[in-house]
Amino acid sequence: MSEAQGAPFSGSILVVGGGISGLTTALEAAEVGYEVFIVEKNPYLGGRVAQLKQYFPKLCPPTCGLEINFRRIKDNPRIKFFTLADVEKVDGSPGNYNVSIKLNPRYVNENCTCCGACADACQTEIPNEFNFGMDKTKGAFLPHEMAFPNRYVISSRIMGTEDAQRCKEACPYDAVDLEMQAKTMDLNVGAIVWATGWEPYDASKIDNLGFGQYPNIVTNMMLERLAAPNGPTKGQILRPSDNKAPQSVAFVQCAGSRDENHLPYCSYICCMASLKHATYIREQYPDTKVYIFYIDMRAPGYRYERFYEKVKADENVVFVKGKVAAVEDGGNGQVTLVAEDAVSGEKLHQTVDMAVLATGMQPTAVNAKLPAADLNYTEDGFIINDLDKGGMFATGCANRPADVMMSNQNATGIALKAIQTMMKR
Amino acid sequence: MADKYLVQPDINFINEVRANGGESLKKCFQCATCSVACPIAPDRKPFPRKEMIAASWGLKDKLLSDPDIWLCHNCGDCSTLCPRGAKPGDVMASLRMMAINEYATPKSVANAVNDRKKLPLLIALPAIIFIVLGLITGLLDFSPELNEYGEIAHAKFFSTWLVDLIFIPLSIWAVAVFAMGLKRFIGDIHKNAMAEGKTDKETIDTKGFLSALVRVIPSILKHSKFSECGENNNRGTPHMMVLFSFIGLLIVTSVFFVVLYVFGIHGPYSQLNPIKILANISGIALIIGAALLIKQRMDKTDEVSTYKDWYLLWLVLGLGVTGMLAELTRLADAAFLTYLIYFIHLMLVFHLIAFLPFSKLAHLVYRTVALAYNEYSGREAKKI
Repeated sequence: MSEAQGAPFSGSILVVGGGISGLTTALEAAEVGYEVFIVEKNPYLGGRVAQLKQYFPKLCPPTCGLEINFRRIKDNPRIKFFTLADVEKVDGSPGNYNVSIKLNPRYVNENCTCCGACADACQTEIPNEFNFGMDKTKGAFLPHEMAFPNRYVISSRIMGTEDAQRCKEACPYDAVDLEMQAKTMDLNVGAIVWATGWEPYDASKIDNLGFGQYPNIVTNMMLERLAAPNGPTKGQILRPSDNKAPQSVAFVQCAGSRDENHLPYCSYICCMASLKHATYIREQYPDTKVYIFYIDMRAPGYRYERFYEKVKADENVVFVKGKVAAVEDGGNGQVTLVAEDAVSGEKLHQTVDMAVLATGMQPTAVNAKLPAADLNYTEDGFIINDLDKGGMFATGCANRPADVMMSNQNATGIALKAIQTMMKR
Repeated sequence: MADKYLVQPDINFINEVRANGGESLKKCFQCATCSVACPIAPDRKPFPRKEMIAASWGLKDKLLSDPDIWLCHNCGDCSTLCPRGAKPGDVMASLRMMAINEYATPKSVANAVNDRKKLPLLIALPAIIFIVLGLITGLLDFSPELNEYGEIAHAKFFSTWLVDLIFIPLSIWAVAVFAMGLKRFIGDIHKNAMAEGKTDKETIDTKGFLSALVRVIPSILKHSKFSECGENNNRGTPHMMVLFSFIGLLIVTSVFFVVLYVFGIHGPYSQLNPIKILANISGIALIIGAALLIKQRMDKTDEVSTYKDWYLLWLVLGLGVTGMLAELTRLADAAFLTYLIYFIHLMLVFHLIAFLPFSKLAHLVYRTVALAYNEYSGREAKKI
């Protein structure tokens, strides 16, 4: 984490994105002796994995995998990371890139001990993006309790208000610095790895599935936050409209996926995610019924297949082969999902307390253009790796939809590719 | 449904469905969005998902006798929501065309009506019949006189005797072709509905079926199924205009026929005659309705339109336009022009009647029967 001194080889690697893929690439490259910079736009590292309750393949809580990686970063002098940072400009060619990075102010310096006095003093509340807006945080906040770096952030939304001043005055450690300004930093690197990850597909674009219209229709990532112990309901899965424990939950698979009108591709993870969510619900509520409406259940590989078999054996989990294509008001906050059961050939109107849309992954680069001109993308916005040309690579979900295991395998391989770029230099 | 079903794919059938406008068929991955998107599919064995897989598998017998292809009004809602661009709406339209062909005899006429290359022949056919019969009988007068009021009368050129000599047998032929087709059709759709569990009725009792028919007629006239459509909702009004103008013109023709043969009064009628007013209104509505339908089809580029769609639409528009023009040129004393246009008008009428059981217009009969059968079957009321 300190300044890199005397790296055994020349050249350094820039990793854009501090999620599980970016961390893996950075660590693999750094641990064989390369200098690595991680640029992360959020105020914390860990990306999407940090938002999960449990993740595949072993259903570990995210602390399990992320903490060891954070430990490795702390121990490794060759890794430098920047949070609240954006890559603004990239020039140059493989082996020699000049990169401009904008460092946005956190308004909190290294003195922070996470005592929380600033948040107590702050009166303004802002939507909590980490929980997809399902609750609020103070204008001075810790993104989540295991956030790394473990340091508060003061939202730019309260800058210039009395609240900002209150935060500063409340801090016993002189950690709040309201004078902090955005800075631009230039780096020269030999290779760039884009680990920019994914965004959940915007469910409100799927007109016929009622997201945004009915409060008890949530997305799979929202359910993940509802189930997570550090989420808005402290891990209690409650339906949003009245905080009632749901007696029935339906999952709508392929919500906006494998669909020309939305994401034409399969996101690979949503089937397993819903199966996992079914286990969350069933563990919490022994009598709750779970319905999973699907086109095809995709549980690739032996382990996932076994997981699928296990969930299928639960008689309170009902699988219906047929995509939900319409949603109606079921009364009392309930929603009625309409689908044709393609096995029996009957149209079903299933009324449930809560519905979960299994939305897919959209590469972040689709909605936030990357500043590198010579990247090639698929029609769907995934970066195509040109391994012969080298220099720039994409890993993890910036490259294709993947689970954590695949992302890590891929990220390790890409670390080697980045190193090869430098060896040719 | 039987537990075991041996699938015997008919490859030619699959290719035909694709060639008739169902090109996108094989993109379907059976997600069943279409059956839910369809505003008029019943809960019990909804369509068109099951038709999509049957078509993919080439199950010709299952499909052509499937009453559900006729319940579909081609709203296009299924095609819009289809995640794969498989356009179930177009596939259903293609299946209907093939069902019309299947139940029409003789096949040679059916094939000729549906073949763009045979169109010149089909156009020539009525002209030849008119001229040959007219010359033999002397009922076609190429230098017609004016009538006793000194007005142009089309009957002086093309005798009403000749008209009826041709069109009465022709109408009987159309009815006979339909009767033969319908006999098979009704038996087949009932068998299909029993096999697929769409009905609880064992047999078709004529009285029950007829009363079901009477029950569905008002909803057909009101186009109530059309108004449930989302995507192609605007097609309802022009379609209604065309249907009602045909009904109006049928009334006009029948009254004219009776008046002529019972009372011996010839046309043309005065413009103030109520029958003439009905004829004029119907003629104008026919032109507007057909023109709107053509325009909507042209604008809707994401929906397949085949030769069969265009043949019928242009025929209907042509009927309206030549009918009104024949009247206008007659009133304008343009003798040659009006006789020529009247001749063309009669050629188009010949097409309408002679090819009714073979063209897309046959939906008038098959859809009505299928809707009546669906009403009779008790499928909508029962929920499982």
